[in-house]
Amino acid sequence: MIVKEWCMYCGGCAGVCPRNLIEVRELTLKFNEDECKECSLCVQLCPVDALEQE
Amino acid sequence: MLIETDILVIGAGPAGSTAAKHAALGGAKVLMLDKKSEIGAPKRCAEGVSIGGLESLGIEPNPRWVTKKLDGVRMVSPNGTDVWLTSDKVELPEAGYILERKVFDKFMAMDAARAGAEIRVKTLATGLRREDDHVIVSAECMDEEFEIKAKIIIAADGPETRVARWAGLRTALKAKDMESCAQFEMAGVEMENNDVIEFYFGSVAPGGYAWIFPKGDDIANVGLGVLTTNTDKTAYQHLLEFVENCPATKNAQPVELNIGADPVGGMPKKMVADNVMVVGDAASQVNPLTGGGIISGMTGGMLAGKVAAEAIKEGDASEKRLSEYEKVCRAEIGDSINKYLKVKDYMMTLSDEELDSIADVFKDTDFERVSTGEIVKTLIKVSPKALLKLGKIF
Ligand SMILES: Cc1cc2nc3c(=O)[nH]c(=O)nc-3n(C[C@H](O)[C@H](O)[C@H](O)COP(=O)(O)OP(=O)(O)OC[C@H]3O[C@@H](n4cnc5c(N)ncnc54)[C@H](O)[C@@H]3O)c2cc1C
Ligand code: SF4
Ligand code: SF4
Repeated sequence: MIVKEWCMYCGGCAGVCPRNLIEVRELTLKFNEDECKECSLCVQLCPVDALEQE
Repeated sequence: MLIETDILVIGAGPAGSTAAKHAALGGAKVLMLDKKSEIGAPKRCAEGVSIGGLESLGIEPNPRWVTKKLDGVRMVSPNGTDVWLTSDKVELPEAGYILERKVFDKFMAMDAARAGAEIRVKTLATGLRREDDHVIVSAECMDEEFEIKAKIIIAADGPETRVARWAGLRTALKAKDMESCAQFEMAGVEMENNDVIEFYFGSVAPGGYAWIFPKGDDIANVGLGVLTTNTDKTAYQHLLEFVENCPATKNAQPVELNIGADPVGGMPKKMVADNVMVVGDAASQVNPLTGGGIISGMTGGMLAGKVAAEAIKEGDASEKRLSEYEKVCRAEIGDSINKYLKVKDYMMTLSDEELDSIADVFKDTDFERVSTGEIVKTLIKVSPKALLKLGKIF
C-alpha cells in the first residue's frame, strides 16, 4: 500500500479494514501487508484519496 | 517494564475521558492512554451538542469551550427550498451549543485527572493478550516499549475501533455504515442567520448531508459526510464543490481542514467480553441520522466507568458481570439509535425531487416543539413512503 504524503492520520481506513491490519500512529500509517486481501475498502473510505494499492 | 492498574482506558476522546472519570470516582485505580501529543487535536468534528445532553452528564458549560449558543435549525433541500425552525416560531427542546472541541476534550480529560485517573499522552496501545483473570496491553511512548496489566480495559479508541477487535469483539465497520467526512473551519461565512445550524440534503452529499455550524461572528464549520458506497468522488471533492456553490461560503476562506470517519450503523451486537468493555465511536454510539456521537459516546463512557468500578470492588471482571453495562447502555441510548437508523435508511431512498417536495410542505408546516423526533413525525404525515417505513416506530 502506498500512503501519500497528504494522509492526515484520521484513522477512518483502519475502522473499515475487515482484518484490522492498519495501525494509525500520530504521524505514521503502518499496514500489515502480509495479511492484506486487497479488498480496497480502506482506499475507498479515505476522505482525501491518500491510499494507493501497489 | 510492567505497569499495573485496575482499569485501563485506551483513548482520551470524550467517551474515554468520561469513562476514566467515573471509574476513578468509583474508587478504582485508573490509567488512560492516548496516542496523540495533544488531546482534542486535530479535531474531527462539527462540534454541535445538545445542552440537555451535557446536563444529563452533569457537565457545567464553560465559556472556554462553548463558542456559540444555538437558536434553531435551517434545513435546505437540493433546489434551495429552506425550512426554518427557530425559537421565535417554535419551542426548541433540543437547544444546542457549538463547542471548541480542542478545549472541550482537554477539559474532559482534566476532569478525569482531577477524579484521580492517571493520564499518559503520546502513548499508543499496540496489542493485547489475556492472562488468567487480567489483560496485558502492550504500549509504546516514543522509544519506550512497555506492558500494562489491567483487570479491565475500556476500549475508547474512536472510529478505528481496533482495541475491541483484538479482544475478539466484532466492532469493524462496513463501508455502508461509515461516513467519510471532510470539513473546513472558515471565516467570512455569510449565513442568513448565524444563530442556527444549517443542514443541506441530497446529492451535495450522497449518503449523508452537508452542514454549516456557526462558531460566532463569521466563523463556521462547513463540512459534509458521504457514504463511499453512494459516490465515486471523495468527501474532500464533494466539500470543494459544496463550498464553491453554496451562497453562504462563496466568499469564505478556510483556516483548517478536518477529515474523519463517523460510524453510523448502530451499536454492535456485543460491547463486552471478559475484562473488556467498548465505548463511544469504537462501539458506534452515534445517532445514525445526525452523526452526532459526543453525548451518546460520553453516556456510554459514564455507564461503562461506573460498572467497571463496581466490578473491580467485587473482584469480578467476567463478561457476565460487565454485561450490566451493555444492558443499561442499550436501555439509555439503544432505542433512539435504532430508531434513527431506520430514519437514515429511509432518507437514503429519497431522490433530490422527493426531498424538494417534502421541503415544500415542511416550509408551511407549523411545528409546536422541535426535536428530531418531531420533525420525523411531520415527515410521516407528508410522505406516504415515510409512513410506510417509519409509521410504526414514531
Ligand atoms: C466530520 C465529523 C463531524 C462530526 N460532528 C459531530 C457533531 O457536530 N456533534 C457530535 O456530537 N458528534 C459529531 N461527530 C462525531 C464525534 O466527533 C464522535 O462521535 C466523538 O468524537 C466520539 O468520541 P470518542 O471518545 O468515542 O472517540 P474520539 O473522539 O475519536 O477519541 C478516540 C481517541 O482514542 C485515541 N486512540 C485511538 N487508538 C489508540 C491507541 N491504539 N492507543 C492510544 N490511543 C488511541 C485517539 O487518538 C483519540 O484521541 C462528528 C464526526 C466527524 C468525523
Ligand atoms: S483514511 Fe486516509 S487520511 Fe485517514 S488515516 Fe487513512 S489514509 Fe490517512
Ligand atoms: S485492502 Fe482491505 S484488507 Fe488490505 S488493508 Fe485495506 S481494508 Fe485491509
